[in-house]
Amino acid sequence: MDTAIQIVVSGLTLGAMYAVGTIALSLVWGALQMLNMAQGALLAVGGYAAYTAVATLGMPLWLGLPAAIAVGGLVGALMYALVVRHMLGRPGFETNVIIATVGIALILENLVLRLYGAYPLLQPIGLEGGFQVGATYVPWQNLMILVVSVVLMLVIGNFLSRTRAGRAIRATAQHQRGAMLMGVPVGRVYVQVLMIGGALAAVSGIMLSTITTLAPTMGYDPMLKAFIICVIAGLGNIYGALTAAFVLGLFEAAVQYFFGVRFGFPALLVLVIVALIWRPYGVFGRHKQARL
Amino acid sequence: MSAAAASPLLALRDVEAGYGGQRVLRGVSIEVPEGALITLIGPNGHGKTTLLYCISGLVRPDSGEILLDGQAIHALPVDRIVARGIVHIPQGDMIFPDMTVLDNLLMGAYLPAAAAEQQQRLEEVLSFLPPLAERRGQTASTLSGGERRMLAIGRGLMAGGRVLLIDEPSLGLAPIVIEQIYQVIADLKAQGRTILLVEENASRVVELADHVHLLDNGEIVWNGPAGELVENDELLETYLGG
Repeated sequence: MDTAIQIVVSGLTLGAMYAVGTIALSLVWGALQMLNMAQGALLAVGGYAAYTAVATLGMPLWLGLPAAIAVGGLVGALMYALVVRHMLGRPGFETNVIIATVGIALILENLVLRLYGAYPLLQPIGLEGGFQVGATYVPWQNLMILVVSVVLMLVIGNFLSRTRAGRAIRATAQHQRGAMLMGVPVGRVYVQVLMIGGALAAVSGIMLSTITTLAPTMGYDPMLKAFIICVIAGLGNIYGALTAAFVLGLFEAAVQYFFGVRFGFPALLVLVIVALIWRPYGVFGRHKQARL
Repeated sequence: MSAAAASPLLALRDVEAGYGGQRVLRGVSIEVPEGALITLIGPNGHGKTTLLYCISGLVRPDSGEILLDGQAIHALPVDRIVARGIVHIPQGDMIFPDMTVLDNLLMGAYLPAAAAEQQQRLEEVLSFLPPLAERRGQTASTLSGGERRMLAIGRGLMAGGRVLLIDEPSLGLAPIVIEQIYQVIADLKAQGRTILLVEENASRVVELADHVHLLDNGEIVWNGPAGELVENDELLETYLGG
């Protein structure tokens, strides 16, 4: 029983962090057919921005955290304005943008390295203490991450399904020309989506840094896992991605518990291979074309 | 009604357009007076859809001009053209497959002017197209071909707009469903809507149209009142398959 609780606690925390990062990737893919390889770097940007805001500038949390999230959104907007906008609609966009975003990732990562140095920093944000469930100690911070993620998912889900701007994003993802004919300025939708993606990456990065440490390359591992989740869920499928994030988080936690931490990632990769042989368009994917 | 009415609501003058080096439209001029149903008939692949794309801005004309109420719209981005009142009901419907019928309709009223009257328009459209009312909560991809076409029309009507561009509304539908769709178009005409209708098969269109244009290889080869076309055996033979 205690084993199960431990796996569930750790699995849900992992799943929650993966979910936020995955939704960001999935949203951007769904709307722009753009695989954002700078997602990992955006996580680091968010984490370090929160560090600067709170530890260096001494902002209170209620100001520092939104500021850090806004930095993520701003970087997303800049990515669109400086790079993506000029490539969209050209032949080979889907491939070119992967290379371009790898470049952006390198730039961001080295910027972080230059500004903060290579040594891991301790994120000053986070809840102290925890509580006991049976023999398992649950840190408040883990619970906090779970709550923040679930609330964020609900907010995003409602935004996409119930608001005019959210509907426009889904419409653009499902039929770009159709959306244009409804009067949707698709350029603005793309900026919005990249800003939301950047902001979500920042949230994910801040959460991650509170239970590990800040490092310029901290985003790579979660980004890879978010890709894995997207592949399993079918890219662009948000609800599938959510389910997959939590299932894979629990799966990884179980593998880590029973076989050791280093087997977590290889086990996920094996799962992807099996899933892709079984369902080439993703477990929840219905079409070759991904949609929101 | 004459196409040469004082000042047409929508006018195309010498529009040329193409893709890459290939010329699709070679100097097309069409006038659409307010309240008229004007049609463009021609074989597939001869530029009908491209012409509508030029009007709504999905394709930029290489030369010539497109005027709405006397003002040039051919250089505006699509969303601004739509905001001026061009409603394009495209070939292939372009509905949003994973959204509900209701959400698809609401997307039709996306622009602020239409959004302000969204609720009232929704009631009008649902009572005008009852099959949509029955299926309002259903995902659009599960609709039949005829229902999709109705959804595309209903979504266009949600926008309000001043000119309806309708591209091959009978394409891919069973004859009995085509009857229904054409009844809808006849009702729209009776309501006084301004319509530019494109079809490959002319037989249905000619009864409804005020004025007919025949498009062949990117050029208007004949235009005149629908009645004259019906009497012209040679044209009927060539363009309408007898």
